[in-house]
Amino acid sequence: MDPYLGIFFLTPFFQSCYAWSVNNFLMTGPKAYLIYSSSVAAGAQSGIEECKFQFAWDRWNCPERALQLSSHSGLRSANRETAFVHAISSAGVMYTLTRNCSLGDFDNCGCDDSRNGQLGGQGWLWGGCSDNVGFGEAISKQFVDALETGQDARAAMNLHNNEAGRKAVKGTMKRTCKCHGVSGSCTTQTCWLQLPEFREVGTYLKERYHKALKVDLLQGAGNSAASRGAIAETFSSISKKELVHLEDSPDYCLENKTLGLLGTEGRECLKRGKALSKWEKRSCRRLCGDCGLAVEERRAEMVSSCNCKFHWCCAVRCEQCRKRVTKYFCVRKEKRERSGGGGASRKLKRKL
Amino acid sequence: MAGAIIENMSTRKLCIVGGILLVLQVIAFLVGGLIAPSPTTAVPYMSVKCIDVRKNHHKTKWLMPWGTNHCKKLRDFDEAVSRQIEANDIVFAVHIPLPSKEMSPWFQFMLFIMQLDIAFKMDNDLKENAEITLDVSLAYRDDMFDDWEEIAHAIEIRKLKCTFGSPKTVESEGRHYDCDFLPFMEIGSVAHKYYLINIRLPVNDRKGINVGIGEIKDIRLVGIHQNGGFTKVWFAMKTFLTPSILIIMVWYWRRITLMTRAPVLLEKVIFALGISMTFINIPVEWFSIGFDWTWMLLFGDIRQGIFYAMLLSFWIIFCGEHMMDQNERNRLSGYWKQVGPIAVGSFCLFVFDMCERGVQLKNPFYSIWTTEVGTELAMAFIIVAGICLCLYFLFLCFMVFQVFRNISGKQSSLPAMSKARRLHYEGLIFRFKFMMLITLACAAMTVIFFIVSQVTEGHWKWGDITIQVNSAFFTGIYGMWNLYVFALMFLYAPSHKNYGEDQSNGDLGVNSGEELQLTTTITHVDGPTEVYKLARKEAQE
Repeated sequence: MDPYLGIFFLTPFFQSCYAWSVNNFLMTGPKAYLIYSSSVAAGAQSGIEECKFQFAWDRWNCPERALQLSSHSGLRSANRETAFVHAISSAGVMYTLTRNCSLGDFDNCGCDDSRNGQLGGQGWLWGGCSDNVGFGEAISKQFVDALETGQDARAAMNLHNNEAGRKAVKGTMKRTCKCHGVSGSCTTQTCWLQLPEFREVGTYLKERYHKALKVDLLQGAGNSAASRGAIAETFSSISKKELVHLEDSPDYCLENKTLGLLGTEGRECLKRGKALSKWEKRSCRRLCGDCGLAVEERRAEMVSSCNCKFHWCCAVRCEQCRKRVTKYFCVRKEKRERSGGGGASRKLKRKL
Repeated sequence: MAGAIIENMSTRKLCIVGGILLVLQVIAFLVGGLIAPSPTTAVPYMSVKCIDVRKNHHKTKWLMPWGTNHCKKLRDFDEAVSRQIEANDIVFAVHIPLPSKEMSPWFQFMLFIMQLDIAFKMDNDLKENAEITLDVSLAYRDDMFDDWEEIAHAIEIRKLKCTFGSPKTVESEGRHYDCDFLPFMEIGSVAHKYYLINIRLPVNDRKGINVGIGEIKDIRLVGIHQNGGFTKVWFAMKTFLTPSILIIMVWYWRRITLMTRAPVLLEKVIFALGISMTFINIPVEWFSIGFDWTWMLLFGDIRQGIFYAMLLSFWIIFCGEHMMDQNERNRLSGYWKQVGPIAVGSFCLFVFDMCERGVQLKNPFYSIWTTEVGTELAMAFIIVAGICLCLYFLFLCFMVFQVFRNISGKQSSLPAMSKARRLHYEGLIFRFKFMMLITLACAAMTVIFFIVSQVTEGHWKWGDITIQVNSAFFTGIYGMWNLYVFALMFLYAPSHKNYGEDQSNGDLGVNSGEELQLTTTITHVDGPTEVYKLARKEAQE
């Protein structure tokens, strides 16, 4: 677990725990939330890892810098990528909490007696508990949404995207049923929602990212009650499943120190793979060609384990193999020309 | 004429009876929909990967996933690789239920299904028709500080049916296979508070055990049990229905014995239907709260089976006895063709149930579907039962068609008949049509509600009111068939209303004499002797 993230998530939470005690339904006091903090941090981490995976071949590749979900400086961006980061983080938190519920990590998953406990007060005995996912959603809301302290359009956007992330977890859940009537017939069947692989949530959100809606609210947005009303109205009219952004994305090709962008120079891209998707196949053009960079071929020899005898867990015997691999990187054009004397790069030139 | 009560009842009274039954029916639905929670709950469990640190694993030791004595846990298997822990040292532990809860006998049964998260890896692919060998054990305790007591231990083999959605390339390494869930365990009573499941996946390269099953990431279980609230409502309903059916049954049989003639087949069948209904109703399940009777689930299946067989037989015999043709029936042997398939079908299902739930009494992890032979055998039984059912419905439809053909034939000649004969046939036709109507209505209701409960999400919400559709289906349909049997016994009991009238109206003596003759045998009025008798009487007149 990344300690930075853990701290990051927890500091604002300790700051604002007084505000929560008004409407928290689980317990009172900040101590209660400590049980969840490690799961929350792990969840956020898994969200970021998924973000990195999903954007591995995009110009913007989910750099660590982007993970500052809520910074108090006014430099916060509000673009499409920010929207995705917020959504995947809150989805990761919700996912991990839900999963850890089933592991038995928490004492009271889904069994708040408010819903089922109307008769006799023994919710579990009378009608079972509600879904763990509801619990995960609630706690994720408590933690992630609490990072948003402002009331401006940016805060509203972040809250909306957090919600979209949680909706994505719910939306990708699969309904599974089991028949168990007389002689195993379907006169009685029980259905439940099953958590998908987190990858599916990531893929779903990536699709949403491409279809993200832009909302024009930044012009003349003061902190007056009227503008706050307008913000609330605008966001409530947008489906909770959609990702929302306020600004256009900057040019990720170029390095931009003020925005903390690294540019695509030096990035690896994919080419000529056997079974690459369209998006992956075009990655060299997207990352290098369209950004005015050239592609450089680098050959390397890699040592990896191979011919392993695997069991279902814990590989046992492997051999060491040497493999020649070709990798492609984006480089600046003049740089390549400067070193143009070598035979290798001439060969490369022909290939390009 | 002195037929069944239904013919002698005035329309007003019939409407009142119908209204009362309808109100009871609505109540039955509402009890399920509003009071009861959903019938069952599914609880997802994620197994905790424990490390069995002992040198030899011969003596069973129970590994706890959480709590005071929890085991040494592994977060994921990458950790196991780096710590050089072998597959044989890993135990998947699941504690039932989750923390701060306990199980209860009100849950009636528990069944578990298993889902495997198998990750794709280029060089550790899942083999075709891979089989997984599970070393499973189940233990219980009733106190958090007691020792675990073993309930069952078994080595089970399950077939993996998995598909992989993405192309099998390096890029999709780490994605999970989409695997069908596996039947894991079924217990017919929940007598203890805490249960513990320990699963091992022993590896043996030489014997090829658990080789080529891919890279298992997680084992998930889903535990399904009946909700305590539903059990309580269900028991209450049974306890209420038992005496009502019992009372009408006694009343019905007294009516029949009061008559001078011996009971006819149809009357016996209706009575038998009442008995089988009572057999289902008797709330013996109350004992499951106090005793650890794992066979209750099987017993319930058998009781239901008997009732269904009885109901199907009743329909056939009812049609046959209203055939209004020249054939003399009134004997069960006359129906062997139609009742035969019911008997064969029920027997097949009984054998199947004994093979599945019967064996589960001994080994809760057993499932007939896991072996090749078992699956074929089970399929054979089910197919034979299905064929029998189809055969039965063909017979039934044919008989209903015949009855309607005879009815239309009789109706055209009704005005030409003597009063007694006309009344007799009108009675028969009315009784049959009425019966057809309510039977069809009940069957349609059952089918519609079954489909609705399968399609919908389990509960509907109207403002603050939540309606549990599945529970409403169960209580409503159960109540409906009880009311059906109740109405049947009440309305089709022999009437003695006309006997009193006969004594007062002496001048109608001849006609009532005829009626008596007709009622003693419902079926064979058209025999030559009867015609002769009637002809003679008319001549006397």
